[in-house]
This record gives sequence, structure tokens and C-alpha cells, in this order.
Amino acid sequence: MSTDLLQELHQELRRIYIAGSDLALGDYRLKRMLPQFLQLGERAPIFKRLGEGIAALIEPKDAENYQSAEQLQDLNLLLTSVLRTQGITTPQGELRPLENHPVSLSTFLSYRKLAAVEEALTTTGSNRYEVVAHAFEEGMFRDLRLLELAVRALGDPYSEIAEFAMQKILPSYGAEVVPYLIDSFDPMGGKVESRKLQVIGQAGGEDVLDLIFQAAEAGSEEVRVTAIRLLAAHASFASDLLTWTRDKKKSIREAAYQALAVMNDEAAVERIYEAFAGKDIEIAAEAAAKCSSEQLTAWLVRDLGEELKHLLEYKEDKKKAEASQKKMRHVLTALEGKRSDTLYELYLEVSRQYSLYISSAGLDLVDAAAHYLEHENSLEALEALYALEQHNMRYLSYAFRASFRQLSPSALYEHYVHSIRNKWKMKTNKETQKKLKQFLSILEEQVIAYPYQLYPNLWGSPGESIYLSTVEMMPVEQVAQLWDSRWLDWLIEIQATHLVCVFARPDHTESQSFLTERMRDMTDLRHPSLDILLLGLERAGVDASIRLELLMNVLEQKRGGNLYSFEGPVLENLYQLPLSYQDRLADMIQKYRYTAREQLQYVWNEMERKKHEAVVTDSV
Amino acid sequence: MIEITASYVDSLASNAAAIKNAQGLVKKRSFVQLHQSEDGTLLFAECKGSGSSNYQCSADFIQPDKPILRCSCPSRQLPCKHALGLLYAYTGGEAFTTAAVPEDIVAKREKAEKREEKKSQQTSQGAEPKPKKVNKTALKKKVQSQLEGLDVLEKLLRSLVRNGLGTMDKKVIKTMQEHVKQMGNYYLTGAQTELRRLTLLLSDADDREQIYTDVGEQLAVMHAFIKKGRAHLTSKLEDPALALDHESTIEEWLGHAWQLTDLKEYGLMKEQVELVQLAFVSYDDSARQEYVDEGYWLERDSGEIHRTIQYRPYKAAKLMREEDSFFDAVRIPSLYQYPGDMNRRVRWEEMAVRPLESHETLDISKYAERSYTDVIKKVKTQLKNPLSHANPLVLLHVAEVKQSNQDEVVIADESGQHLVLRDHESNGHRTLPLFKHLSASQLEDISMLVRFEHDMDTGQLTAMPLTILKDTEMLRLLY
Repeated sequence: MSTDLLQELHQELRRIYIAGSDLALGDYRLKRMLPQFLQLGERAPIFKRLGEGIAALIEPKDAENYQSAEQLQDLNLLLTSVLRTQGITTPQGELRPLENHPVSLSTFLSYRKLAAVEEALTTTGSNRYEVVAHAFEEGMFRDLRLLELAVRALGDPYSEIAEFAMQKILPSYGAEVVPYLIDSFDPMGGKVESRKLQVIGQAGGEDVLDLIFQAAEAGSEEVRVTAIRLLAAHASFASDLLTWTRDKKKSIREAAYQALAVMNDEAAVERIYEAFAGKDIEIAAEAAAKCSSEQLTAWLVRDLGEELKHLLEYKEDKKKAEASQKKMRHVLTALEGKRSDTLYELYLEVSRQYSLYISSAGLDLVDAAAHYLEHENSLEALEALYALEQHNMRYLSYAFRASFRQLSPSALYEHYVHSIRNKWKMKTNKETQKKLKQFLSILEEQVIAYPYQLYPNLWGSPGESIYLSTVEMMPVEQVAQLWDSRWLDWLIEIQATHLVCVFARPDHTESQSFLTERMRDMTDLRHPSLDILLLGLERAGVDASIRLELLMNVLEQKRGGNLYSFEGPVLENLYQLPLSYQDRLADMIQKYRYTAREQLQYVWNEMERKKHEAVVTDSV
Repeated sequence: MIEITASYVDSLASNAAAIKNAQGLVKKRSFVQLHQSEDGTLLFAECKGSGSSNYQCSADFIQPDKPILRCSCPSRQLPCKHALGLLYAYTGGEAFTTAAVPEDIVAKREKAEKREEKKSQQTSQGAEPKPKKVNKTALKKKVQSQLEGLDVLEKLLRSLVRNGLGTMDKKVIKTMQEHVKQMGNYYLTGAQTELRRLTLLLSDADDREQIYTDVGEQLAVMHAFIKKGRAHLTSKLEDPALALDHESTIEEWLGHAWQLTDLKEYGLMKEQVELVQLAFVSYDDSARQEYVDEGYWLERDSGEIHRTIQYRPYKAAKLMREEDSFFDAVRIPSLYQYPGDMNRRVRWEEMAVRPLESHETLDISKYAERSYTDVIKKVKTQLKNPLSHANPLVLLHVAEVKQSNQDEVVIADESGQHLVLRDHESNGHRTLPLFKHLSASQLEDISMLVRFEHDMDTGQLTAMPLTILKDTEMLRLLY
């Protein structure tokens, strides 16, 4: 059967459908085809019928009842039926075996489970990361049908998902997935290809080193950076890494230095050190900071010493001094976290000659020295820190932290409070007051933290959790063990409310009355001290009924605008309210809005429920 | 003792969110008390919810294959997350204490028993339920109205065809949308769907050229069913019994919803049939304004491949159970078949589930068609009729899988007859990319469930692979 002719007719009918069947009358292209159909129709009746259909459309015998649309529809229907029996099923050209990279995955997920993950990985919108991460935890990515999507996820617009795919999902397939990744790997590509290479490098082992090397040599900039970092673990590429430190592109040189820092052999260290003399000093310094070579540290300490000398010499020459400062700063970066005796000596000297160095080298140097000394754990270093503290208040915190670690509780108290108690009292002295304020905040850092904690969302959607801010104070035992008991009296004396909350003791009546008073003064629900005060009252051993009554008063006054929601400590206290508060609670709920109202409503509901239960048990 | 698995509980849930929420309840320990009855046929518990009092939920396994899940929560979703959570707690190995069956459950059980008794009495006494009384005058009126509707539709199509698709503008689309609404008034929901499909095709295309072929095909289909529909309705009017056509699909095209009793009456019911699902797919049919869950099942005794279709209207989708892939074998006391040719739609009311043994999977392969020539002939015969299902499914035996110069994937039967595989973009899914991850043995001497499609533009009849059966393994490429 002449399929071509049928296809041709199909195209012509399509044309007439677009143009409108009113124009079909006498259509010359159909007219030209008509004889062929009639001719074929002598042998195959179906062509005859089609021929008749064409004739009825373009040359109607009964012009009066002619309906062009009807004729066209009839012909189209007939042709559609015929064409559908003529479908070609055979392939074109030669056949060869299928190219494949078999993996040992199966298909075990049901539609509903699979579709949820597919949707998360193929659409945009919120909550996708959670779905993907959960699916990975459940081992759902062992389903063959998710493999392709996992690879595609490397290019997800939400970078957390892309990173998750790179760090977790794809490596979990192991070496099996490598050939497949290599197949689609394009060294000239961007971020996605760079992530792909990362997986290839991690999972591929020795076999893919050559590929990585090729990518490092000739890939796009992003791919090269990843490739070079991947080569760090392979000593055989040391000479190549050295070459790349002289590349034209900064990011390549940076990656090469980083890789050399990891490699940490003689030539590598020499090259990094060498770079300190050139324009790459910044990236070399960052690499050096990650290099554990003692040799390098020694060289850098030596350089630092020399640079400090230069700085003293160049006092007059601004240009030279600036260059020297710049170098010093990079060397300091490189020495971050490194320790050596020479460096210690050097920093000790800096602390002794504070005024000299602060003018020539600036704060960066002294900060570095203070940081180093703080972690030295020797009395000599501590003395040096006290000296620094005398020069500049910013070193108070370094010195205090070091003292806290090294001195006994009583010695610490003696040093910071007792010996200078009268000095702290000088309220008129602005400098002292500033210092006191800073000192208190240093103390608070030591003993109070404000973390966010998950609370069950009982008032909204039970079963889900929500983050609320809360207050974490140093545990009572630790306070007793690490701090002198005399701190409390002094803290009350200077009215440091937050700290009193931490240090309060049940046997200390003064702290009880101090905190109760403070709570009574509390007018604003959003006052930062409200949460910690509740904890402080508890720690001070103030009776729970008093504490809750005080809280209730604050709630009833309700000042502080529209509170959105109650945070952790207040909420926990609300949960403890006894049934007797139910009516008072009911009266004030209306004043609140948003989550705060829901929370109060929940508390009230719980009371109602408990009341019910009590009645039931009674009647039983 | 109740023997259920977590995957069985999954299958009871209406959707994935219900599963997640139910498991969340167990994780968060929201169940206050977990009890089971002494005879082990009932699980019940109290569950904390957002209300002031706990919800009472229970799972009654007095008929083990038809558990009844009850709950006092106000959710409209059935079963609710609390009842599901109760079952997850059970499968998860939580401790259930033995307790007496609550009174309300006892009462409910008694009522159910009475209902059953009444039913069995009726069947044993009266044998057949009374035939439904049909109001013939009303039916006649309905048929006449349907005929009128077909005339209206035909008139609309004629004017579209006369003026040409190229002149289509917003005004015309609006007229079409109005007609879509009208079709409902003429009791022609099938016609309504098809006209909406045509309207959607014409209205949302950026690239008109591309869709003209589809439009041409759709016009052919609509023309066919107007003609066939009119002939059928006219003869129905003349028939004093006004009987339904139970041999062709025309009733469905017109929008008739078959009742199981009707199907039984026309002898379209089989007894004691065992089915195994080979593939599943769910899609959004915007012309129907429904989500469609389709399952493809093989009948164990005959090798016939049936389709189950569940429509979930957009408006009710949230409350309806979303079907899922099914991995167990099901035994069905009465299987109702719709009129049609290949892969007829089936429905059932009751079923018993049992795990599918691996040797049974192996056994299925014996039904794989070995001659592509025969299959293609059969498929083409079906496609010839524009009102037949345009995507027949066949289980084929595949001797080997190859690749052509044009990178087409090609399968061959034992006699070397070839068939080109292709992903059918129309349903938005792709399965061929998976082939490159399969091992050589998974592509040799296998059975493959394929879905056929004829492409009018290229004139090719291709098959999309849905599932591969190799020995005892069933590899679902789709769902």
C-alpha cells in the first residue's frame, strides 16, 4: 500500500483544516492527487473510497446539499482509520548492541512513595529538601528510577539539595555510578559538572585519576579548581600542582596552593613559602594556614620577626611601612592556630612593648598575640595578658578567660572583685563604668547562653515541633564548683540581674528578695530579662506559687505591644499553672493575639481536660 | 492474631500525606492507651489530638480481609490518620494490652452482623435482587435530549472546520467553552470531556503548528462518536426496552457510568479471578478535570491484560483515596468487565490479598506474546476504530534489545521481527533512559509490558516499555 500517498493526503487535509473547509472547493492540490487514488482504487477498494471522499469534497455532485465541513470530517475520519493501520514499526538502519552501564539497583518503591520524591526533585517550591533528605535516610534512592534524578539534582536551583546530592546521595551508590557520571561529564561545564567531578573523584578511586588530571589541565575554571583539589591526595601529581601555582587564573593558583598544603612535602612547602614573596601572598597565606608543616611555621615566624623589625625602622616611610604591614597581616593569617616557642617569645615581646607595636603594627598584631597567649596556659602568659588589659580594655576578655581556666575560684574572685572592689564602686568614673559593663557581659558569656530549642507544637499542630528561644544557664553544680560563693553578694550589690539569676542559691535570702523585687518591677512582656528571671527565681528556691503568681501579674498587665508568641521559659511556666488560675487565664486570653493566644488557649484547654479527668476518677 | 504488614497499612491510606501523618503520631507517642481484644480481632486506642478530649480509634478485624477502621475524630478523610497510626503502632511492635471490647464497638458489630444476615437471607430467598424499575418516559426524554446535544455539537464543529483552525481567536474559544458547559445539560458528559479536550488543545498552545495534527485526530474522534452516537441513540429510541449497548464503548463515550449490576446483567462478570498488577500510573487529565489512577493487571488464568481506572475529580481529590502500585496478588470473587476490545476496564467490590510468590512471577512470562507480527496486526485492528482505546497494552516476549543508528531502542522477537520502543511524551513519563542501567541479562530473553501509540506526524507505531519481567524479578520501569 502506498503509505507515502496517504501521508501526503494527511498533510493536505491538515492544510485545509487550518485554512477552513470553505476553501476546499476545487482545491488544485487535492485535484492533482485524485487520479492516483482512483488508479490505485482499481486494485484496493480503500483507495477508491478515499478517492470518492476527495471528489465529494472538491467537486460535489449535489451542490445544493454540499456541506464542506461534513465532507472534510468524513474524509479525515476515514483517512485517520486507514493511517492507523499503516504504522511503521521497523527501525531505520543498522542495529548494534545497546550501550549500557549496568548498576545493581532494583525497583521496589510504590507509586505514591516514588512520585513524592520525583516531584521534589523536578519542581521548585518549599519543603523539597526535607522530602529528599528523608527519602535518602529511608534508602529510597536504592530504587533504580531515582538514580537519574539524583544526578540531575546536582544542578538543582536550591543549592542545599545540589550539595546534598553531591555529598550524600551520589557517593552512596559507590563506584557503580562512576561510569555513568563520566558518560555525561563535560569538563567544560560549570558548577554542575564540577560537582559531578567531585563525586567521580570521591567514588572512582585510582581508575579515574587520569580523567581528573585531564579535567585539571583542560577543563573550565570551576571544573579545574575541583580537579586540582582532588589531586592533593596523590603525590604523583606534585610536579603538576607546582606548575599550576603559576597558572594565569587566580582561582587555579589558589586551588593548587590549597592542594600543596594538604600534600605537605618539601617541594610543596617551599613553593608555598616562595609565594609569600610575590603577588600570591594572600592565597598562599590561606593555604599555609591549613598546612601542618613545622618547617613552614618556622620560616614564617622568622619572617614575622623581621617584618616587625622593619616596621619599627620604616616609621617615617609611609609606603614601605604599608607594604610591611600588609605582609605582616598575611603572615599572621598563615600562623593562625600554629604554636611554636619562637612565636611565643615573639608575642610575649609584643605584649611587653605594647605602645611601640600598636603604633607601628596596629591592632591585628596585638590581637593575634593576645589570642596566642590566652591559649598558652602559663602564669607568665597570664601576666602578659594582664599587662595588655591595662593598656586596652579589649583584652579584658582574653585575660579573664585565661584567668578562669588557670586561677582557683577564690583567686579569680580576689583578682577581679575583691582587690578592686572600691574601684568598681566609682560610679562617677565613666571609664570604670564602661569597663564594668564590659566585664559583666564577659561574665554572662561564660555562664549564660540563649539557644533555640525544639518544643512540641501542642497548641497548633501536635506532632510537629517548633523552635523557641530559651535560656541556658551554667548548671548549679558547676557554678558551685567553679565560682567563688562571694560573687553573688557583689553581683547583687551592683544589681547585675541576669548574673544573679545564675548564681542565686536557695540558702541566700538576699538573692531571693532581690529577684522577687525585680520580677515585681517587670512590666514589659518583651523585656529580655523576663525569661531568665523565671529561671533565676526557681534557682533561688523561691516558692513556685509565688513565681507563678508574679508571672500571672505580668501577663495580666500585658504591656509591650503585640506579643507574637511566648518563648521557652515562659511557656514552661505556663504549663505549670495550677487549675485555680483557669478563670483568670480565661479573662485575659482575649487580650492576646497570634501564637501567644493559641498557647494560652492550649493551657486553658489542658486545665479543662484535667478537671474533667479528675471528675471522672472521683465518680469512679 | 492479626497479621498485617506496614506496606498493607500503606495501601489502606488515602495518600502519602496520610501515611506520613499517621507515622508521625506513633513517633510522637500520641497514642495514650493501646489495647487489643482478647480474641485478637480488635485493636483500639486513645489518641491525643487537637481537640480537648482524646479520640477513640479502633480497627476491627472481625472480617480479616475487610478491616473496619473507626475513629471519633471529625476528619472527613477515611481512614483517618489516627486509625492508620493505630495500625502502624501495631506493625511497629508497640505493646498492646488486652482489654474488653468497648460497648459501642460491640453494638456496631451486632448491627453489621444483622445487616449481613439480612443480605444473605435476601440472596438465599429471593435469589436475584429485584430488577431496577426504569422510568422509560424519562429515559426517552433523556435520549432525545442527548440527540439534540449531538446536533448542537456537530453544528459547532462544522462551523469551526468551515472557518478554519487558522482563524481561531479568543472569541471562538469562548464560544467553545460555553458549549462545553451546555453539553452537561444534554446529559453528554463524554462529549463534554472531548470538547473540553479540543478547547484546551486550541487555547493553550504557544506553537499552533505542533498541535494541528493532534487537533485533526481529535476532530476525527469527535466526528466518529457523533456519527456512531447518533446512530446508537436513534436505534435506542426505536427499541422498546431502550437497552444499553454492551458490546461497544459508545455508551462510555456518551458519558454513561456503568453500574456493576448492569454489567452483570449483560454477562460481563467473571467469577473467581486472580489478578497480578504489572504496572501503574497516575496522571492529571485536565479535559476530564480529574486525576486518573490506572492499573494494568494480568489475569492469572487467561493472561489477559485488564485496566483498572479510578477517576478522582479535582474537587474531591483531597478526600479520595489515591491508588498506588500493588505488589501482591489479588483474588476477586466477582470481576466486572466494561465493554471494549483489548485491555478492557475492570472493576470489583471485594478482593482478598495474598503475597505474590516469586515462582508465580516466573509463571506470568508464559503469557508473553511471541510473535510481534501477530501482536501488531491485532493492535492495528484495534487502532482502526477511532473510538477504541488508543494505547493498547501487551505483554511481549523480548529475545534481545538493540540500538539503531538513529539511537532508537529496538526489541526483537525470536524470529527476528523488530519493534521500535519510544517514550510517549503524551503522558509525561520516560522509561527508556533506565535501559542503560540494566544489565545484559535483564535485556535478554525477557517479558516486557508495553504500551502502544500511533504517531500521526511520523506515521510510526511505537511501544513504550512499562515493566520488565526477568525470571522471578519484576522490574517496574514506570510505577
